[in-house]
Amino acid sequence: MAYSSEKTQEKRRGFLDPRTKLALVLVLALFVMGGLGGDMLKPVKTGLSALPFLLLLIERQWKRFARGIVMLAVGYGLLFIMPYLPGALNYIALLCGGILTRFVVTIVMGEYLISTTSVSEFISAMERLHMPQAITIPMSVMFRLFPTIGAEWKSIRRAMGMRGIYLSGTKAGQVLEYQMVPMITSSVRIGEELSASALTRGLGAPVKRTNICRIGCRVQDGLLLFLCLAVIAIWILELCGVTLW
Amino acid sequence: MVELKNVSFRYGNEETQVDNENCLRDVSLSVKTGEFVLLTGPSGCGKTTILRLINGLIPQFYPGEVIGDILIDGEETKDKELYDTALKVGTVFQNPRTQFYNVDTTGELAFGCENRGLSEKEIYTRIDKTVAHFHMEKLMDRSIFHLSDGEKQKIACASVDVSDPDIILLDEPSANLDYDATLLLREMIVQWKAAGKTIIAAEHRIAYLWDIIDRAVIMRDGRIVRELVGSEKDGLTPDELYSMGLRTTMTESPSDIQKDTFRKEDTPITLKKFRFSYRGKKQPIVNIPLLQLAEGEITAIVGANGAGKTSLLNCLCGLEKHCKGKLQYKGKNYGRKARRKLCFMVMQDTGNQLFTESVLDEVLISLPKNTVHEKEKALELLQSLDLSDYTDRHPQSLSGGQKQRLAIACALASGRKILLLDEPTSGLDYAHMQETSALLQKLRDMGTTILVVTHDSELIHACCGRSISL
Repeated sequence: MAYSSEKTQEKRRGFLDPRTKLALVLVLALFVMGGLGGDMLKPVKTGLSALPFLLLLIERQWKRFARGIVMLAVGYGLLFIMPYLPGALNYIALLCGGILTRFVVTIVMGEYLISTTSVSEFISAMERLHMPQAITIPMSVMFRLFPTIGAEWKSIRRAMGMRGIYLSGTKAGQVLEYQMVPMITSSVRIGEELSASALTRGLGAPVKRTNICRIGCRVQDGLLLFLCLAVIAIWILELCGVTLW
Repeated sequence: MVELKNVSFRYGNEETQVDNENCLRDVSLSVKTGEFVLLTGPSGCGKTTILRLINGLIPQFYPGEVIGDILIDGEETKDKELYDTALKVGTVFQNPRTQFYNVDTTGELAFGCENRGLSEKEIYTRIDKTVAHFHMEKLMDRSIFHLSDGEKQKIACASVDVSDPDIILLDEPSANLDYDATLLLREMIVQWKAAGKTIIAAEHRIAYLWDIIDRAVIMRDGRIVRELVGSEKDGLTPDELYSMGLRTTMTESPSDIQKDTFRKEDTPITLKKFRFSYRGKKQPIVNIPLLQLAEGEITAIVGANGAGKTSLLNCLCGLEKHCKGKLQYKGKNYGRKARRKLCFMVMQDTGNQLFTESVLDEVLISLPKNTVHEKEKALELLQSLDLSDYTDRHPQSLSGGQKQRLAIACALASGRKILLLDEPTSGLDYAHMQETSALLQKLRDMGTTILVVTHDSELIHACCGRSISL
């Protein structure tokens, strides 16, 4: 059968719109990690905490799911055994448990955002949020440049190893300088070549750019965005002194 | 129709005068619609500069002083914005690693059209057409970083095709490609020609294009010295070619060149159990249970892009931790770490292996510790490699060939016995290729064993005594 880019783009479409993912990260960071709303919102927060794990399951990211669950279990385990531990250990357990239980959920959500969003999806989302080109273009160039410069860095490190120059002893400063010399030269060259190529293909034209990658709100996005709004609404009601339960 | 009328150009402005390389002196050239013109000549003759004038990168991106007119379909391009020129002119560049804006292949094909603001529907239709046309279904929806150089260059051509410009410029597109990939590139160009595109290519490797071009324009020192068409082009003798600084016009696959890998009378260097695979890949990229190489000879390593030639060099240098192979040299076994002091690799990006601020320092840090008269020794080495005029220059400011010689000087300074070179002649003209070949023979006569990964058939003919096909 003939190749159809439209169909494959549709197939590759993520379960959620990048904007929904961003909103979820924000809400989790504020309420679960930041502790906004205090104990009153506890049941809401527990519900929210389950979300990133559910999403990972839907996208079949088994490894990330397992890692998150284990971290969370360790956190709660520490808090559970904390009272039975002597002195300093007690304090350490409390600290680690506290940090893990608060942070893991949001970190898992962030991981979900990064691992399931392609660069073009992200840029497309940014464009739909009406971010100006002056912000989206440098951002997309950065995404492109990092892996390339990373590869360059690796090749320079290898070259040093081969020439018998190692990071050791008193000469660490000099070795760092040695690395920077080719690094800067090649980064400048790569940047220049990338820009030249992009410009000859019309980047920066004063027309509205299109983007072929498929994003956009669907039912699941609507539901989750509604949930985010609801959490914020409950919080505001609470601030106003309304007791919900 | 593309016209250059009495064009002169030099890079930089009066204060930041760069040098006279790559400048143009009173060039007039006219390319008819649908014509395929090849620009060729020695390095620095100005062929890339002409392409940059046509696609508008000069003077919009590379500043300089332009005299004369550059007209595309009668319109002056000098004063046009790059995005306007981009509607008519598409360019495929030399380096496949630095011409992609996206990280996935499909996005890359769409890029030019997205910038023009074409509708999504239209872009999809165009991509599907190009994909079917060039038979590249397998390359779609992949990460750019997981493609071979040949595949990347195919994507670069396809992305120009999706934008569908009338004029297509090719700036040494084959420099990093192996023989088979070059033939694929040729196929794509043939299709463009059939579709009536105007094509202008700047190339050193002219063999794969020679029989499909309409006209060859030969340049030297910023001037057009000769134009060849028809029987004149086909009847050119090798001596005439070489006198103009041109490469051969005969296509020959490096793996078809018959050379022994090892002869009975050779002193062996034995490789044992060299096996290496990339993380997460089951199929090993290097798999050599046993191989004998000839000590003190120049051996060519040939094979397609992705056959593991560069990986083998990495393993030989001891750069791959997971390769457990052993190398036997002069009756002694060398493990991974010991090989780091025995082998030296001149990499493709030679600039990445030069670290200091002067040519002399570069050699000094390579000499073993406690060398007596180290400065004299270093100078002597530089002299023998024709680098004594450059001792105070910054290594990064040297030309490609000079960087290569400096890296070799470092190898000799650190007393390495086996020299590995990764594509030392990619993108070199005839004279420079001959220089490299002469240098390798000189090193061989000094007792160095040399392994060259290459797809340059001319280099193999010029200096390699043995050959291995991977």
